[in-house]
Amino acid sequence: MKQLLIYISMFLTLAGAASCNKWLELKPNDGLVREDFWKTKEQVSAAVTGIYASMLGSVSGKTLAMPEYLFVWGEARADMVTPGFSVKPDETDIINMNILPTNSFANWRTFYETINYCNTVIKLAPNVLNQDNTFTQDMLNRALGEALTIRALMYFYLVRTFDQVPLKLEPTVSDNDLSSMAKSPSEAILNQIVADLRAAENFLPESYGNSAVDRGRATRYTASTILADTYLWMEKYTECAAQCDKVINSGRYGLIGQENSLFNALFWQGNAVESIFELQFDAQKLNPFFNMFAANSRRWGAASHLMEEVYGVDAVNTIPLKDSRGDGMALRAEDATIWKYIGANDAGTALRTADQSYAHWIFYRYADILLMKAEAINQLDQPLEASRLVKTIRERATALDFGDAMDSTSKSSMEEFILQEREREFAFEGKRWYDLVRNAKRNNYAGIRYLLNSAAKSIAPDMQQSAFGKLRDRNSLFMPIFLYELQTNKLLVQNPFYK
Amino acid sequence: MTRKKLFYMMVLICGVLTACTKTTLKQSTTEDVNIVGYLRQHPDSFSLFEKVLVRAGYSDYLNAYGAYTCFVPTNSAVQLWLTKIKAGNVEAADINTLQDMVKFHLLNDTLTTASFKDGKLPVPTMYGQFLVTGVASGERGSSYLINRQGAVTRSNVKVGNGLIHVIDQVLEPAKQSIAEELAAKSDFSIFVEAMKATGYYDLLNRVDPDTAKRWMTVIAESNKTLADSGIFSFADLKARYSHTGNPAGANDSLHMYMAYHILGGIKFLGDIINSPSHQTLQPQEVISTQLINQEVVVNENVFNGVLEKGMTIDRVASDNAATNGVWHSIEGHYQVKYRKPTAVFWDVATFEEILKLPATYRKASKDFTRQSEADQPFKDITWGWGALAGTNVLTYYYAPTVSIGMYCNYQDAIKMPLGLPNRPTYLELRTPPIIKGKYKIWICYSARNQSTSSQQLCEVYVNGTLMPRTFNFVVKRPTGTAAELEAIGYKQYTENTASQMVGRLVGTYEFTTTDRQIIRINPINGTQNDNYLDMIHFIPVDDNQVFPRFKPDGTQIFQ
Repeated sequence: MKQLLIYISMFLTLAGAASCNKWLELKPNDGLVREDFWKTKEQVSAAVTGIYASMLGSVSGKTLAMPEYLFVWGEARADMVTPGFSVKPDETDIINMNILPTNSFANWRTFYETINYCNTVIKLAPNVLNQDNTFTQDMLNRALGEALTIRALMYFYLVRTFDQVPLKLEPTVSDNDLSSMAKSPSEAILNQIVADLRAAENFLPESYGNSAVDRGRATRYTASTILADTYLWMEKYTECAAQCDKVINSGRYGLIGQENSLFNALFWQGNAVESIFELQFDAQKLNPFFNMFAANSRRWGAASHLMEEVYGVDAVNTIPLKDSRGDGMALRAEDATIWKYIGANDAGTALRTADQSYAHWIFYRYADILLMKAEAINQLDQPLEASRLVKTIRERATALDFGDAMDSTSKSSMEEFILQEREREFAFEGKRWYDLVRNAKRNNYAGIRYLLNSAAKSIAPDMQQSAFGKLRDRNSLFMPIFLYELQTNKLLVQNPFYK
Repeated sequence: MTRKKLFYMMVLICGVLTACTKTTLKQSTTEDVNIVGYLRQHPDSFSLFEKVLVRAGYSDYLNAYGAYTCFVPTNSAVQLWLTKIKAGNVEAADINTLQDMVKFHLLNDTLTTASFKDGKLPVPTMYGQFLVTGVASGERGSSYLINRQGAVTRSNVKVGNGLIHVIDQVLEPAKQSIAEELAAKSDFSIFVEAMKATGYYDLLNRVDPDTAKRWMTVIAESNKTLADSGIFSFADLKARYSHTGNPAGANDSLHMYMAYHILGGIKFLGDIINSPSHQTLQPQEVISTQLINQEVVVNENVFNGVLEKGMTIDRVASDNAATNGVWHSIEGHYQVKYRKPTAVFWDVATFEEILKLPATYRKASKDFTRQSEADQPFKDITWGWGALAGTNVLTYYYAPTVSIGMYCNYQDAIKMPLGLPNRPTYLELRTPPIIKGKYKIWICYSARNQSTSSQQLCEVYVNGTLMPRTFNFVVKRPTGTAAELEAIGYKQYTENTASQMVGRLVGTYEFTTTDRQIIRINPINGTQNDNYLDMIHFIPVDDNQVFPRFKPDGTQIFQ
């Protein structure tokens, strides 16, 4: 009897131990864990692709898609857009310089999500060399280069938008990595961006052998271009011009000629020879712009002064001459629709349908390189050379001559003219506000008038005087830290303007 | 047995003991403090203001449910203020003074800094006066300035019953009326003397207990402003305007001058620029206001193609709050202008939106589609949304070779579908400025039937008043001499004699203010797409109604 009991209990223990196997297993049934990933070159490649995917739309679904932030950050506070009838209250507050820390557009989460993907690749990809013999050093370099470039681009947006942000360079791969982080000074962030991009330039190939891929993935010249823009922001003009020359001398990019439709090449088709880096939306991944700009749900339209004061209208000739970047490219003049992202032809007659809303978001194109170089060498006291570059841009766009003519002998008037030319060239491409701030902050805010003039055009008349007062505080040029971040990260200190 | 009993007893005691363990229930639904609670949490900064609240008897009231905005002065600010009112401490201060002080810092609404504009806050303080907001920028950055007194040092503190903004100075309400404030300024001596002579001083000195009547706005001319126009003393001013010799009389031009500088209601500059015109105390006279290059400009208008330069309000010297309103200082002298009613031959096909399209304007036709009812693509044109979405199209119609358009003024017109059940329910247009006076109103259209049975009978409203005669977009001009036609309310308004070109008199209307007016065309019978409206004529009743006629190139013919 006693023996039987022992046998039974032994059997039970055995059976129990065997059946325990399954529920002691800690791996999730519906996902991959890190220990199983980062084994093959395909997985590295998938992780890098994930970085780009994260820029097309919010991964968590809790925030907006990145291009929506890029547009609102780059345009809403400047003078080229006007609110439509379904504008959000948060957007109205941004226009009128009334941003509160609760404003949903002050949420940087989308950008840090992408940064985290970059950090993960940078940290974990090198180890794959030991796991997969077919994964070469070249492949690793390429993956690192892409991650570094995108991370730098994200920080470049953050530093221009918030001035000081936490500089997180390590991935958050487990709960143990969660910790509070203080803000880093903007110089430290900019230096990190420069270091990352310099490294990336060496890692990245000049081309992937396919024109469309070269526009959608970071190449060596993507890194050079972002670096040029960073140097320009840091007021390092010699370095900026040198970076621009790298891209110009590569011979891989050029302006779309006069004979072709700019709108068609750049925005309807995308991946043009002029483009350097863009977000490639397609039928499966739509951009957020249709509902933002379409007439029956319009949140944003083009400002009413653009045709008359920016592009110019020709009332003299029977067939009026026009700036090919204005009506039918940047906007549709008759109803002030922002045309670049929802137009379907350059005659201004056909719109994209909702399921065709996949115009690419262009971060940089060759025209940007030429105008950045013009701005840099003008600051290096070469206004004449700068004016030649501007002239190239103007001629290809058949720009109209009106208002103050370009004065290639004066540095200060060239500075103003280049800013105006950038306004015409990059309308609604999320650059205007940063252009204004960059020119305003030069020489200890000597150009504050650029910001004040812009405010006078765009801010509601009964709020203008307040806005002028606010703009004189340099901290007001940067967004507040989102309230949720302040509550969860106790080391963060709010921008003193938003006291 | 006893052991068993003991055992049960112990079980019971154990049960009772465990049951007795008290669970603490949370009684409150939130741990947010209210306004007073917040002050008590931060005695270092706000103990004095909290004492003021207690002494004034408002602390319980502000610690209960509600939605308030409270501007809270810091301890140092309250201390300074106490010294200023010559009270050693809160207990020594007069209780009425304390109550007024609290009331002036309290609003019955929750206002974040996002609703701070250049001017008054949307709701008055509990004291009754409005607070003025602005932004001041100094070496330590920019901050909101309340009532030009206290700078906001911490904003938008959310508490259970509202919002707190911390300020570094106690706010003090205006103590004087508009009249007293102006009288205290030697720069305005001539203007004040004129106020007294015309009898407006008493009006501007009174604080009406009825808040609907209390508020007034004065646009004052300083001595320097008047001197720039060659007026160096009250005698000069009186000599220039007072033609009856009695400025107190309503018909005296000096009286009118003063009435024309007073607006009803409390209007800070932020309010003034939000409306294109403001009624003055001079009956039927408005001033027009607009923002030009960041300046508030009064009475800059185009009449008959002539630009009349306006006067600029001096921003720095304006927005002065008083017990019964606000006053501003203007840099230019202005007076009511007598204008003779002048005919306006309004080409409705020249509107702002088409002027921006030089490739189209007077060169090609163009459809303007409204995508939804909320979509308003035009500044001065709108229409009642047509049930059939596709009919909400206003066409700029240009046709130099088609008979519908070729005889029109400049060979263009606007084409608008109208009529129930499917098409837009009305068309509303804002005219160019028309000088006040009595006018005959002529609707000039190119008649067209969409199909033989189409009808489009319309009535016309001018500033909301129905005109006695209707017109019909499909009806051609009857035959007859010009005089015969005028007698039955028709005219040939074009050079071309085609009977489709119809000028139809819809009625006579007296415009009581010189302003931009509203015309509404209301279809009452029939519906069609092909309604071609070319012009609307406003001709003073005493003028020739038939001429000028218009050539296709826009020139006028006078006989």
